[in-house]
Amino acid sequence: MATVAEPVRPNVASANIQLPGVESYEQVDRDIAGTLVPTKGWFLLLGIAIAFFLWGAGTWTYQIYWGLGNAGYNPPVMWGVYIISFVFWVGIGHAGTLISAILYLFRAGFRTTIYRCAEAMTVFAVMTAGLFPIIHIGRPWKFFWLVPYPNWRLIWPNFKSPLVWDVFAISTYLTVSATFLYVGLIPDLAVLRDRATNPVKKRILAVMSLGWRNSEPEWRHFARMYLFLAAFSTPLVLSVHSVVSFDFAMALTPGWHATIFPPYFVAGAIFSGIGMVFTIIIPIRKYFRLQHIVTINHLDAAAKLALFTSMVVGCAYIIEFWVAWYSANEFEQAYFWNRVFGQWWWAAWIMLTCNMIFPLSLFSQRLRRNPAWLFILSILINIGMWFERFVIIVPSLSHEFEPWQWSGYIPSWVDTSILLGSFGWFFMWFLLFIKNLPVIAIAEVKEIVPPRLRTHAPRADIDVTGHHVDYSPETPGEHD
Amino acid sequence: MSRRRSWALASGFFAIAVAALGLSAYSGASSSQGFAPVQPVNFPHPKHVQQLGMNCLYCHYSANRSPDPGLPAVGTCMGCHTVVQGRRPAIQGVADRDTASINQLLSYAKGTPDQWKPIPWIRIHKLPEYVHFPHMRHVNAGVTCQTCHGPVPEMQRVYQYASLNMGWCVNCHVKGYNLADGLLAAGDTAGARAAGNVEPKKARYDCAVCHY
Amino acid sequence: MSQPPKTVVKRREFLKVLGSTGAAATAVGCFQEPVEQLIPYVVSPDHTVPGVSTNFASVCRECAAACGIIAEVRDGRAIKLEGNPDHPVNHGALCARGQAALQGLYNPDRYRGPMVRRDNRLVPATWDDALTLVRQRLSEARADNAAGGVRFVSHHENGSFGAFVDQWMSAGGFGGHIAFDAEADLAVRAANQAEYGSAWPALDFAAARVIVSIGADFLDGWGSSVAHQLSFADARGKLGTAPRFIYIGARRSLTGLNADEWLACRPGSELAIANALLSAVGGSGNTTIAAAATASGVSEASLQRVADELRASQPSLVLGGVSTPDAHLVALAAARINKAAGNVGITVKPDEGLSGLGGAAGAQALAALATEMNAGSVRVLFIRGANPVHALPKAMQFAEGLTKVPLKVSFSSYPDETSELCDVVLPDSHPLESWGDSEPVRGVLGLQQPVMDPVFNTRAAADIMIALARADNAMSSRYPWATYRDFLATRYPAGGNAFTEAVGKGLGQGSVLARNTTSAALPTTPQAISGDGEFFLVVHPSPALGVGAGANKPWLQELPDPVSKIAWQTWVELHPSAAARLGVGNNDHVTVRTAAGSITAPVYIYLGIHPESVAVSLGQGHTVYGRYAQGIGVNAVDALGATFDGAGRLAWTQAKASVTKGVGGARLVTTEGSARQHGRGLARAVTAAQLAAGEMGVEHHEFIADASHEFKPGLRSPVANDAQGNLGDSLSTKKGMYADDHWSGMASRRWAMTIDLARCTGCSACVTACYAENNIPTVGARWQGRSLRPFHTADGAGWDNEPGANILKGREMAWMRIERYFEGGEDGSTNFETRFLPMLCQHCGNAPCESVCPVFATYHAPDGLNVQVYNRCVGTRYCSNACPYKVRYFNWHGYGEEARRQYAFPEPLNLQLNPDVTVRGKGVMEKCTFCVQRIRDAEHLAKAENRAVEPDEFTTACAQACPSRAIVFGDAANEEWSVARQVEDQRAYHVFEELNTFTAVVYLQKVNHPAAGGTR
Repeated sequence: MATVAEPVRPNVASANIQLPGVESYEQVDRDIAGTLVPTKGWFLLLGIAIAFFLWGAGTWTYQIYWGLGNAGYNPPVMWGVYIISFVFWVGIGHAGTLISAILYLFRAGFRTTIYRCAEAMTVFAVMTAGLFPIIHIGRPWKFFWLVPYPNWRLIWPNFKSPLVWDVFAISTYLTVSATFLYVGLIPDLAVLRDRATNPVKKRILAVMSLGWRNSEPEWRHFARMYLFLAAFSTPLVLSVHSVVSFDFAMALTPGWHATIFPPYFVAGAIFSGIGMVFTIIIPIRKYFRLQHIVTINHLDAAAKLALFTSMVVGCAYIIEFWVAWYSANEFEQAYFWNRVFGQWWWAAWIMLTCNMIFPLSLFSQRLRRNPAWLFILSILINIGMWFERFVIIVPSLSHEFEPWQWSGYIPSWVDTSILLGSFGWFFMWFLLFIKNLPVIAIAEVKEIVPPRLRTHAPRADIDVTGHHVDYSPETPGEHD
Repeated sequence: MSRRRSWALASGFFAIAVAALGLSAYSGASSSQGFAPVQPVNFPHPKHVQQLGMNCLYCHYSANRSPDPGLPAVGTCMGCHTVVQGRRPAIQGVADRDTASINQLLSYAKGTPDQWKPIPWIRIHKLPEYVHFPHMRHVNAGVTCQTCHGPVPEMQRVYQYASLNMGWCVNCHVKGYNLADGLLAAGDTAGARAAGNVEPKKARYDCAVCHY
Repeated sequence: MSQPPKTVVKRREFLKVLGSTGAAATAVGCFQEPVEQLIPYVVSPDHTVPGVSTNFASVCRECAAACGIIAEVRDGRAIKLEGNPDHPVNHGALCARGQAALQGLYNPDRYRGPMVRRDNRLVPATWDDALTLVRQRLSEARADNAAGGVRFVSHHENGSFGAFVDQWMSAGGFGGHIAFDAEADLAVRAANQAEYGSAWPALDFAAARVIVSIGADFLDGWGSSVAHQLSFADARGKLGTAPRFIYIGARRSLTGLNADEWLACRPGSELAIANALLSAVGGSGNTTIAAAATASGVSEASLQRVADELRASQPSLVLGGVSTPDAHLVALAAARINKAAGNVGITVKPDEGLSGLGGAAGAQALAALATEMNAGSVRVLFIRGANPVHALPKAMQFAEGLTKVPLKVSFSSYPDETSELCDVVLPDSHPLESWGDSEPVRGVLGLQQPVMDPVFNTRAAADIMIALARADNAMSSRYPWATYRDFLATRYPAGGNAFTEAVGKGLGQGSVLARNTTSAALPTTPQAISGDGEFFLVVHPSPALGVGAGANKPWLQELPDPVSKIAWQTWVELHPSAAARLGVGNNDHVTVRTAAGSITAPVYIYLGIHPESVAVSLGQGHTVYGRYAQGIGVNAVDALGATFDGAGRLAWTQAKASVTKGVGGARLVTTEGSARQHGRGLARAVTAAQLAAGEMGVEHHEFIADASHEFKPGLRSPVANDAQGNLGDSLSTKKGMYADDHWSGMASRRWAMTIDLARCTGCSACVTACYAENNIPTVGARWQGRSLRPFHTADGAGWDNEPGANILKGREMAWMRIERYFEGGEDGSTNFETRFLPMLCQHCGNAPCESVCPVFATYHAPDGLNVQVYNRCVGTRYCSNACPYKVRYFNWHGYGEEARRQYAFPEPLNLQLNPDVTVRGKGVMEKCTFCVQRIRDAEHLAKAENRAVEPDEFTTACAQACPSRAIVFGDAANEEWSVARQVEDQRAYHVFEELNTFTAVVYLQKVNHPAAGGTR
């Protein structure tokens, strides 16, 4: 799936020449390291992000003092925006690991230029997600009781409870993806070290790059390590969100108690993650003028992945309805009817259109290769996937077995503030990341830049530097 | 394995151990063990219990029939101390009494009984409000006061003897209370020997026995 | 709970214990406790052990029935009221209003001490100042030969107090005394007196074969609802052979909802129907069925059928209790029907009737007084217990009259509309703080004793009056008694010593009341309901709040109205068709305008109201009455004029009204999600016929499920989820939770409960009992709402100040709720059935909540309880999501924390908190515990006496209070407990048993008695 069927169109780069716009290793260093210079615009964005984060944090303290009642909970809807956002953020994370680990194992070349962003996104998304279960519980200061540790009370957490599984899943996921990100960074850190002029910065980078010397054995170990970690992360992509889905599937609640949940959630997670990758990478490549590195082909390929996962998710939606009907379980049927045609029709239709209908546009190659559209679509996908979790959680709880206890749900200013705060938190980290570490894996990009002084050009229209003979920045697929 | 690797491992384990210790410490940190406040009336337990041989239940009169052990009313004190006044010369059987503390008592018992004021004792042994501790069940089961409250008869100033942490409670409920140990704590060596090694008394330990 | 330490110390002095009893406890406990003081007694009282309850028998004064109560007193504080099992009226049961007397006692808005009006404000004063002032004015009045201008208005009280006041007034040569009772059905009393020679005959519902109530709401507080309910439940308990109950009236009240059939008639047409039925049973009603049908709008056929039933199935029981100007005539007709049908002596027992109801006066008497006051001929007015300014229509100008009285003396314990207009307030002690007596039934005396020291600086009104008299030369000679207690003791038939003995039991022999034999002549001309407007305005007292006295008690405000399920609000009931005609829906404001005035309130669309009527409940709309009552709802009396029935009671249903759509609306503060069962078989019923044929569970909708799960009566042993995780065979008949050799010796313990829906009337007494027993916070008060925006101002802006705000968000905390489901009537017809389903934690043997809790905060106890450990709970609320019954409640705010504005127990309400139950802090889950504290107490007691817990030795608070005896609690694993027999009943079923939760709460199906050929 990764390589572009050749030749798709004249003068579009092909698998073996991925980056026609890059002529030398030095250019790679130059272009990528060039992104690290702080700018006014960056400071402005960072400021906004931090402001949002602080507002969210303040609201949380307020909530701890006055009680969760200030959030929009409307029993029996006992879970709301916080758990929705928790699942949403964990989901975001998954695409990162998929792209950096699984596609690496599949040798999918198009991942090379986007995986660093995706991997960073994973780490920050999981950092964000991890906060929500704590924000959501009634007595956050007792959160550590979910962790098994030797204690005076001689009691352990309940290992039967999916919430305890969550604790393990999330912490493992955070550790592994952070490690994976760091290991991938080592050679690039060395590059930055070598380019650094400020002695302090140089020292720090030297330490962080573990004294990388670019020697043959180092590369061998690095490759092994990287491969190992990729293999290690791969099952997590499937396991973590499966565990998260158990939070619902293990309960008796209509609309939750379904065996389809793990695959359904994993697909949804990857789908939402790729959405977020687009939301992040498209502005970056435009802002930093990296279109010749993150080429249309890469976006195109990623868009196909989005299309595929969107169809998996859509399929899951349909199966849910079918099962509800086929099970002849009145509770399920009543619930699903209420979800789509009753009380919650609007939420359900936001979900269905954003996640099932719009992504179908990606069948069109023209749209797949249109960054503007991909960006708009990615926003829609993010919204759609947030509402998917809303639709799973709120309508189920508001329309359960007991008719006397049917209710509604409206988030309050507290939930909303904390949700916005979480975006502030996420983008704060991400903005700090893009100005301090390379957003594109220098070392790996170099791997796909053809070495100079090739004896022969692989194709007639490519010269030894890997340039098209009739090179012009206007050619689609190279600059736009 | 190479020395460097083993160091890496060691530090890893060390980190985990520290985290676990920290959490355990926090979970047990809430004990006020050893708390020994100055009481409004300096009541010398040794004198009353050891010298005068008074029984705990004389003042803590409901410990065997109520969840609440009961505190001596001023009236209870004055039952004797109308006779044993602070300022009067020593009489038979009660030598060198602590005049100061008796005067402390008398300051609460001025005039006629309906002018007396209750003594605002400072609480030492305090369980959280979500724990229900029925004293009578324990006393009637033969648990000696000293088992939990320590050697009060020897305390010039009473302090909190046990940690009163949940683990401390549960331990006894699970392993059971050994009568001999209890009697030993109460200083009744003979009784302890007599009790020998009887089967320890166990108690239910599901949460709702105490937490409701 | 810090009463300022008292210097004078008496018996039952407060023992201020924060710790060992833990009344003020919260489950948060994450910070170090501050240093605490332990305040012992000064002199240990006899008969009390700290931490152990003492019970005092006394009399409930919340209504005229004067039920017997047992007050549980711990460390000097009354913490719970229960019915006195030996009492001839309530036999141990107690209604919600009785339970809530405690919140009158500990009401935070009580007068702290005497008040005197200075420069037009009531300011605190000393008793001496206040009493001197009153004494002066009295002697002045006497000096001016205007002693006749000294008048006394008291709330009518069953017992000697009326006589005491009369005597006091005559001793002083003062004017008359009016014993006002706003709620009592004087019309029925008068009619009964005339027809049976007894004000309120005992009603034996169980002896009847058919019951017809013409607007008599005997379950809503008409007469003595507890006594009636006990008897009615016994009648229903006869299941297949139970009497059929037909309700005739414009509005289907709680009583009406319990009827098998409802004939919706136009208000005012009840008389025609009553007379028609009277003629039908051979009396002289002089009305034909046809005439009645046209007058009432009820189909001739149904009326004819009722008439036939009355003829065919005797003995019957016919009750008339409407509130129209014709009330007395309807009551007379009903009484005559009973006579003609030969029910007297069988279902109506004049000789065993309730006594002590005589001497009460209605609004008409006060109307006379009001004119006198306005004429300026009243010098001094004493008011005790009554609140005429709130209870009387504006047209009577009582308030205006008050302003013309030189000295108004109020004995009110609470600031209310009347006392705020008075010049001197001599706060009366609460009935639980003072002496009294009552004569509930002839020959039996209920004795009321103080169960604790006064909470505030108050004195019993009677003691004050004695003091005044003894200080007055003219009167002192006639007052040998130092206190009211002495007065009662001397009055006690068997003498003072016998009195002292009897007080212990709260019951005595003999009679203190003159038997009323004279019956006033009643006007005979019917009075049509007048006024223009297309609707009849039906006004009725609220089952919980009465005509307003209950409104300052948060338990009663929080208790959803048993019919509409609305709390903290006034609503206007409209029939669906009427609502459609007016183009209004639920929550829309409508204005109900009569000649006398208008009220505006949100609409509640209700099937059980006659299409040509609107109904409004009394009780709310207080302008002064403490923080819980003030500014909540509207006072329906504002729409009423000075129209009275033949017995002088204010006719609540007196006028026609025009109803117009108002501006905006107010969301109904309801606990109802869906009023329909959607075929889910929660509240099930069988008809008498099906019961006879043994066709159970006909309504149970089928599930695709393992046939082995098909319901069998009784409890099966649970699987998997108990604490120690030992597996049981889901089909085994061994009911215990544990292996036989389990050391805890609880192999055969399985606490369980049965609820008999055939007996349950939905009265909700159990709900309030649960609040009282388990320290459940009320959350509807206007300062308990959530935050609406950041940056609040001190005046509370930015918080949701709507009354019932939390309930609008579905956050009520009632561990036990009464679900009210309608069956049928979708077409707006009167032919619908109501089912009440008390829903509480089912203590599932296989509980979905237990497996999902990450910290074992909820788990299964060895004795079969589903336990919630507050201090272990971290508040993930996963358990509630997993619970199919939705019976878990979360502490959204710091309801138990004094520092939070949502604090639910403002001083001194916190003195009522049950020391045996933890007060929950914010952020933890809570739910029904099967009163585990009572289980533990029983175990402690048994251990102390070195025996096992005996069958039916104790029960839960809800079961104890239930006036229908519908709830049975006990150990289902031990055949000797009655619950073990109940669970084997053929009507038994589990709610959602197809979910394999193996609940420990078993419901017994309701039994319906449809009209011949009908289905429901």
